[in-house]
Amino acid sequence: MSAGYRQQPNSARKDGKRVAGKQVFPPPGSGGSKPVMKERDLNFIPESVGGNEPQPAGSHIHDRIRTGTVVGKPLPLVDSNAKVTGQAWYGDDVRLANETIGKILRSPHHYAKIISIDTSKVESLPGVIAVATGADSPNSFGVLPVTKDEHAMAVEKVRHMGDLVACVSAVDEATAIEALGLFEIEWEILEPVFDPKKGLEDADEPIHWRGKYHLAKTNVQKRVFQEFGDRSLVENPYSSSHGKWTMAGVHHGFTEPHAVVAHWDPNGRLQLYTPQQVPHYTHRALSTVLDVPMHQINVIRTFVGGGFGGKSDPFPHEMCAAILARKSGRPVRITFDREEVYWINRGRHPSNIEVKMAADDEGRISGFDIDALIDGGGFASFGHVTSYYNGVLATAPYELGSFHYTGARVWTNKPASGAMRGHGAVNTRCAVEVGLDEMAEQMNVDPIDLRLANLLPPHSRTITGFRITSNGMREALERVREGSDWDNKFRKLPLGKGIGIGCGFFISGSGLPIHWDPNRFPHATVHIQVDMDGGVTVHTGAADIGQGSTTAVAQVISEVLALPIEMIHVRSHESDTSPVDLGSYSSRVTFMNANAAIRAALEIRDKLLNAACDILGYHPNSLVINDRRIYYKHDPAIGVSYLQALHKAQEDKGALISSGSYRSPPMGGVHKGAAAGLAPAYSFSAYVAEVDVDIELGLIKCTNVWAAHDCGKALNPLAVKGQIIGSCHMGLGQVLSEKMVYGRTGHLQNPNLLEYKIPSIHEMPHVEPIIVESSDPEGPFGAKEAGEGPLLPVLPAVVNAVYDAIGIRYNDLPLTPDVVFKGVEKKRKKLKLEDATELPSPRFTHGPKSIELQKALVKRSEEHKKRDLARQTTEDTSPYVNGVLFGFDPNIPLEDQVDGWRMATEPDPEQLAELGLAGKAWLKKEQRHMGGEN
Amino acid sequence: MVGTEYVPMTPKAEKEIWSAEVNGKSVEELITSNAILLDVLRDQVGTLGVKRGCDLGTCGCCTVIIDGDARLSCLCLAGQVSGSEITTVEGLSQGAHLAPIQTCFAEHGGSQCGFCTPGFLLSAQALLTENDSPTDEEITCAIEGNLCRCTGYQQIVDSIKAAAEIHRGESEPVQPASNPHPNPHPDGPDEPSMPPGHAR
Repeated sequence: MSAGYRQQPNSARKDGKRVAGKQVFPPPGSGGSKPVMKERDLNFIPESVGGNEPQPAGSHIHDRIRTGTVVGKPLPLVDSNAKVTGQAWYGDDVRLANETIGKILRSPHHYAKIISIDTSKVESLPGVIAVATGADSPNSFGVLPVTKDEHAMAVEKVRHMGDLVACVSAVDEATAIEALGLFEIEWEILEPVFDPKKGLEDADEPIHWRGKYHLAKTNVQKRVFQEFGDRSLVENPYSSSHGKWTMAGVHHGFTEPHAVVAHWDPNGRLQLYTPQQVPHYTHRALSTVLDVPMHQINVIRTFVGGGFGGKSDPFPHEMCAAILARKSGRPVRITFDREEVYWINRGRHPSNIEVKMAADDEGRISGFDIDALIDGGGFASFGHVTSYYNGVLATAPYELGSFHYTGARVWTNKPASGAMRGHGAVNTRCAVEVGLDEMAEQMNVDPIDLRLANLLPPHSRTITGFRITSNGMREALERVREGSDWDNKFRKLPLGKGIGIGCGFFISGSGLPIHWDPNRFPHATVHIQVDMDGGVTVHTGAADIGQGSTTAVAQVISEVLALPIEMIHVRSHESDTSPVDLGSYSSRVTFMNANAAIRAALEIRDKLLNAACDILGYHPNSLVINDRRIYYKHDPAIGVSYLQALHKAQEDKGALISSGSYRSPPMGGVHKGAAAGLAPAYSFSAYVAEVDVDIELGLIKCTNVWAAHDCGKALNPLAVKGQIIGSCHMGLGQVLSEKMVYGRTGHLQNPNLLEYKIPSIHEMPHVEPIIVESSDPEGPFGAKEAGEGPLLPVLPAVVNAVYDAIGIRYNDLPLTPDVVFKGVEKKRKKLKLEDATELPSPRFTHGPKSIELQKALVKRSEEHKKRDLARQTTEDTSPYVNGVLFGFDPNIPLEDQVDGWRMATEPDPEQLAELGLAGKAWLKKEQRHMGGEN
Repeated sequence: MVGTEYVPMTPKAEKEIWSAEVNGKSVEELITSNAILLDVLRDQVGTLGVKRGCDLGTCGCCTVIIDGDARLSCLCLAGQVSGSEITTVEGLSQGAHLAPIQTCFAEHGGSQCGFCTPGFLLSAQALLTENDSPTDEEITCAIEGNLCRCTGYQQIVDSIKAAAEIHRGESEPVQPASNPHPNPHPDGPDEPSMPPGHAR
């Protein structure tokens, strides 16, 4: 055995005792601060490679690189010490020398043309440094390349109250605020649109103009039509439901208001500090708006004080700061007050959603018919995608006979809606799950059994062609049923107490990057550098917004290299040093970035093992890597330390470097919009909620939530539980109290945290997080997302629980006491009761038919359970597509074997008459098809 | 702020000298007489750990401890607390040694994005200083004025309970408190004294 490399021989003794000396820390080769190596933690090494970790889903491609170091163990976030000491630097904490304070002038009108802006008085105010208006930023931008409809400041017209008109920077805040009052603007007021239904009609002055692609003269930004499956199945249903929903817009409510600092350095490069979820798209947008090449811009992501989708657009105030700083040559800091946060919005779309569904006499779901009209506000933002997600993300986890979706997103003169946790899927999911509950009620069967008997298995395809890989839906349902003691509570609790179920399904990383690139750029890239000190420096662009993506990256690298996590240093703040990562949206970071990190770490691992092989003479495959040591697997005494191997590997080359990347595999169908909702993996969840309803006050108190979420593999169970509980908090807010209130005049009435009611600790139920691990074949160590999916089931679980408590189905969210009380009064009058406390509680009313159906469902779900188990492991690898439940052959294209199997992305002319809500958008033609002027 | 009719939020006022003891150090600043404590702490004293979330006293991010009580610095004129002892999050730790409440927030997931964390820490610390065995109800009431959008509060309550145990002496502070710089040495042992578990 070679002696290897030693910096300071003889400075420590073989028995591990320190030798007195100047050095506080033992030098390399001395045995380290812990003289005995940590044993391999076999409980965190999979069975397939000799450990004890059970693998119900079979072996995984990453099994061999598990070292039992950190994956699967609860860990504090690696940046948590910065956060608990107040040293974490958020947007407004960046204070540069010579800074000036920027303020934004916002529109006082809902919709108006700017005739002129006179800034002379502003400029002459002592202390004002720079002034900018829309004339300084003619280039448009937007997060999606297909809908670039925003400007840094209004060009020509303002589109909602609070829209940016101009900005000013001054020596201090008081002067900047004073300056805002000195702008002289001449307006021409236009007729605003607030009701999305009105937005479907032709207007004199549409809010945006898309030229030849504009739909007549309407305010429709995007319309979608999708029809899949056999529509004849929904005729003559055994049971059906038709829910007409009104969902209020909600806001992310992150605690950190937006803030930005811009500074042009002496070399003329822009240094922009901003709390961004997707710094890369900001980087692109800045380049477009400022007419500066991307490489002359360094976007520095500060710590992000909560994002939830609300910090994922490139924002106009970021451009404003850069423009003001360029004009003045001094750094500019712009910080929003809470009201401005609501004016920029990007929260969840206010929606009108209708869901019709039907089931046959075997309790199979013969069809979903979803119609979603969503209110986009003044700009497109992510709306193009949202329009699809409202429909397509309802196509699983159930097997459907047919699927019919019409969606439309309409511009209105309100602050723009955008992406928010559970993007586009939340509202429809609520409507669908409540509809299922209603059908179960009609059929007099248990809603959990109805769901269990209609699940898609692992490794299957949805009706629209999404590729389902791992699927823990069944286990999630079973575990919440058991955990909540469902069978003893459902339909058995007294009036005012109820229990309800809801499921969820969400993407784990959008399969199509927003900026589609013909160069096949990866979605995520991670660079690793290991120099002679042994520390591992990781460069990644993944934006940690509190979810712990930095921790996840550090963890997977720590796991592969078997190094303590303290030795992994993640640098992720600057675009100058970080390889491009598309950002923290669509729950992609853990899946994609950790996969890239694993690949980069494997390259380093190979180099270390080869070096160890050079020293020891054993083939790398027979070497084991564990806690700063590499040894021969049949005799652990033969080995080298990590540093010895590292220094050997560095001979003649210097620091080890590697790069790993991830790109999702080609997937999905070819129809229009097929890429929307495609993901390399999907998460599943099932929640049971228990509520107390005060019938006289209309007050709902959610007391308990059992929350089972299939995250594939919990890399860090502490963080996953935090995500699940946090999602419950946000979902409960939407279903019970949160609402962006637009008054009769279209004015946002509650742009503050006092009247926009985020649940406080008093409103939080006890949440029992249940982690389901289905081990995704492509996920990093089997992991899938846990950030957004856990939000979806909360809403329907609560709405269904309220029905179980008082027998009233509500279709208006949020269920504030006035809404609940109105429903109770209506029902009381209908039943001619004296007192609302005499309302009947819903109960099962079993007849022979329903008992038989219930038995059939239980039998089917037991059979399916066996089927799923076989498919989860590699025992059964036969293809499975949506439709097998209806007796179709998965090996023959469905259109070849089923008469009337349809796959359409545009309505037939004869369908036009029957389209409702959003479908009305299809009555209009695009300008290019109308003849005449564009 | 919408519209062109602005009332300056901070009209120019007389300057005066303000002094207080912030995190154990006497500070003296020249402030305007109507200055809000939050602004003075952030912009003049430089304790940027005090966060501004809403300016309305609704989110609790700006909570500081003033003479033993957790109070909202955004609803407090600096002049009102002149001469007081003020503790911000920077004052919780002793150098690199974190207070139990800080390590517990890190260890138990009490902090995700971390923006509300300073406020929660100070509300919790004010509680624990007075009462080292708080009931669930008392913990709930102590942090009812703080909003957190990430954690759903549950892990925050866990953190506070764990910190209370340390305050009572029932459990040892977790590693980072006693050894804030664990500094794992890059080199493992030369020859392990016992064969570690390994793959066959």
